[in-house]
Amino acid sequence: MPSPPPAPASALSLRGLHKRFGATVAVAGIDLEIPTHSFYGVVGPNGAGKTTTLSMATGLLEPDAGGVLVHGVDLWREPAAAKPMLGVLPDGLHTFDRLTGAELISYAGLLRGMDRDVVRERRDDLLAALDLRQAGSTLVTDFSAGMTKKIALACALVHAPRVLVLDEPFEAVDPVSAGAIRRILQSFVASGGTVVLSSHVMALVERLCDHVAVVGGGRVLAAGAIDEVRAGQDLEDRFVGLVGDVADSRDLAWLRQS
Amino acid sequence: MVATVLTLKYRVVRHQLMREWWRALLLVGGAVWSLSLIPAAFWMQRMLSLEVADVRSQILVGAAAVCILGWIVVPLLVTGLEDTLDPGRFAIFGVSARSIMPGLTIAAALTVPALFFIAVFMILAGSWRYDGSGVVALAVVGSLLTVALMALGARVAVAWSTRALRSRRTRAIALVTVVASLGAVAPAGFIVLRAGIESAASYELPVVLEWLGRTPVGAGMVAPEALASGDAWGAAWRVAMMVAAVWILHRAWQDNVAYTLVHPLHRGGGAQRRSDAVLAGAARRTLWGPLGSDSATRAVRARALLYWATDPRYLVGSVGVVALPLVFFGLVVPMLDLDPRWAFGAPVILAASIGWGRHNDVAYDSSALWMDVVAGRIGRQVMAARTQAVLVWALPAVGLAALAILAWSRLWEVAPGLIGACVGALGATLGISAVTSVVLPYRAPGPGENPFGAEVGSVGASLVAQLISGAAMFAILPLVTAPFVLALAVDARWGWVALVTGVVLGVAACVAGVRVAGSWYDRRSGRLLAGVS
Repeated sequence: MPSPPPAPASALSLRGLHKRFGATVAVAGIDLEIPTHSFYGVVGPNGAGKTTTLSMATGLLEPDAGGVLVHGVDLWREPAAAKPMLGVLPDGLHTFDRLTGAELISYAGLLRGMDRDVVRERRDDLLAALDLRQAGSTLVTDFSAGMTKKIALACALVHAPRVLVLDEPFEAVDPVSAGAIRRILQSFVASGGTVVLSSHVMALVERLCDHVAVVGGGRVLAAGAIDEVRAGQDLEDRFVGLVGDVADSRDLAWLRQS
Repeated sequence: MVATVLTLKYRVVRHQLMREWWRALLLVGGAVWSLSLIPAAFWMQRMLSLEVADVRSQILVGAAAVCILGWIVVPLLVTGLEDTLDPGRFAIFGVSARSIMPGLTIAAALTVPALFFIAVFMILAGSWRYDGSGVVALAVVGSLLTVALMALGARVAVAWSTRALRSRRTRAIALVTVVASLGAVAPAGFIVLRAGIESAASYELPVVLEWLGRTPVGAGMVAPEALASGDAWGAAWRVAMMVAAVWILHRAWQDNVAYTLVHPLHRGGGAQRRSDAVLAGAARRTLWGPLGSDSATRAVRARALLYWATDPRYLVGSVGVVALPLVFFGLVVPMLDLDPRWAFGAPVILAASIGWGRHNDVAYDSSALWMDVVAGRIGRQVMAARTQAVLVWALPAVGLAALAILAWSRLWEVAPGLIGACVGALGATLGISAVTSVVLPYRAPGPGENPFGAEVGSVGASLVAQLISGAAMFAILPLVTAPFVLALAVDARWGWVALVTGVVLGVAACVAGVRVAGSWYDRRSGRLLAGVS
């Protein structure tokens, strides 16, 4: 049966995504419609399949089944047309760490076919906006985890994509830089862009996102406008209600100091 | 702590083998192959026991010297050293080097290669059985100490090399030392073997072996002979020297373990670069004409060139390819007493080993493969740029080698044919490697990982890719080298044919390989990341 056409306002459509690694089913059929001009949070417990889903949604991992549409363009059939619309910040992947921060941003821009003068200008803007000017001449291998995150975010932004897919963008980032990133992303969404981010921090998702999907066991447990998903509860309580609390919350009496 | 470390090792290996079952097959295959060599060791023991004592000890010294050299050189240049118990992984547990060393030492002795060498040298110690039980006991001690020297020597060599590659200054010193020692192989080989292998075996070799018998390399093998001939003092000081050497190497290893625990490997040494080398490199387009005018190609080429200049893994790889042609020129040609024209094979071998050495290039350079993948369908540009970055240093290197051989032989009339054969070999092997690196990638040490590191069974894991790329290379090399062979053997005018066929076929194979690899790269982009990590 042919899949239904994407909703016209969808920036990213995930259709029946499946992925299995050996005996482990990482994603067991995920469908999501992410509206254009939305700030979309994807939350879920560890091992829920968030990173696998976002990898399939950005062309980094081939799905066993299912499809991805970026503004109506099939990512896996027409990658040359779909990928330029995406800006991607993966979690847990290396960067070319023998380059300096400035060189890494230039590299990302040139890979996207941008003109060198434009790359130079945007590189300097991004280094300033993300408070990375000092890091511009330092090798990425000498960066802290937070700095690496920020430079990878700069690489995702340099070609001014229409959709940003960010896996844990605030992890290990200091509060001042986190504030700067929040402002950049909010202004991006306000100007018509779409941000999809995954996070474990419910307060952050509540504060930033207007839509949220709760993922657990490789499936979508709830998705929609954040108020609909919360259903009158705190997002964290709703999240725990959906995915379940720790089964065995035993008391570590031996850890007590007195 | 010994039991904890050993249990840890075997649990990690077990889990690794359960996750990737084919590694277990390769490990078992390696063990069976080792066992199949044991009868040969018994045959050698029998042959040795029939020799007179001093000849027997000299042969054993030679065997020990070759094995020690192999234990040090092979992990550094070819396979890497199994790193299940990489000391850096203990850093988070707050343990001291002294507390984990006994466990690490026993674990190092309980590997397949170490057990195999212990078995072989113990069997060879049996060749002293007609000289009394005391001599056999001493031969057993000498054998164990010699194998300990091998295993510890490999650990220390890898640890020191890793440390040397960490900073720019020590890296330069290390590179100069390695190149100088490799460079010394050729003239040393020629000096020792200048009058033929029989003369060398009769005159130079016994002197060298006698001297090695006074060093830790061969002392363990000579000590039984000393005791058998009534020189108890000669046996005693040799064993004492071996014990001291093993103790010193063990201390050096412990020192390196202690250093590793508090010096994580991934730091870049605080290097700074004010200029943007990627943007500057991308501005240089004239050299490549229409092939390199694309923005993505220029970016990848600029980055790849930076990696060739700064990444220890690449430096190790580039030194490794020089070894084979040097051994061919310095040892194989004189040892087999081949016609000097065979020496023209050395630059061709250099070209082929540089090209074939890139057969896993995508995995080696995969640290941010995701950036290339998310940027769109740029497989052709990526593969072309990687190949161009290799050509930047490979063409001058092969050219220099060819020039050196021509100057040495003074057969300048074969220059056109040699150039054709070298360009053909380089182009054809780079083309094959471009395809296999996309179609058959296997896991390589990541950036920041030990460039000499290897997982259990990884040698075999790479075997399929190496065999296929090697077979393709051997199938195509005759096409580009045959006219050159005719130029050497039949008529020098064939050299011009070799020049044309070599350049045309080499360039064609390289371009075709890159194009095929590029389209496979795009087609497989969603699987490549999983294949290399």
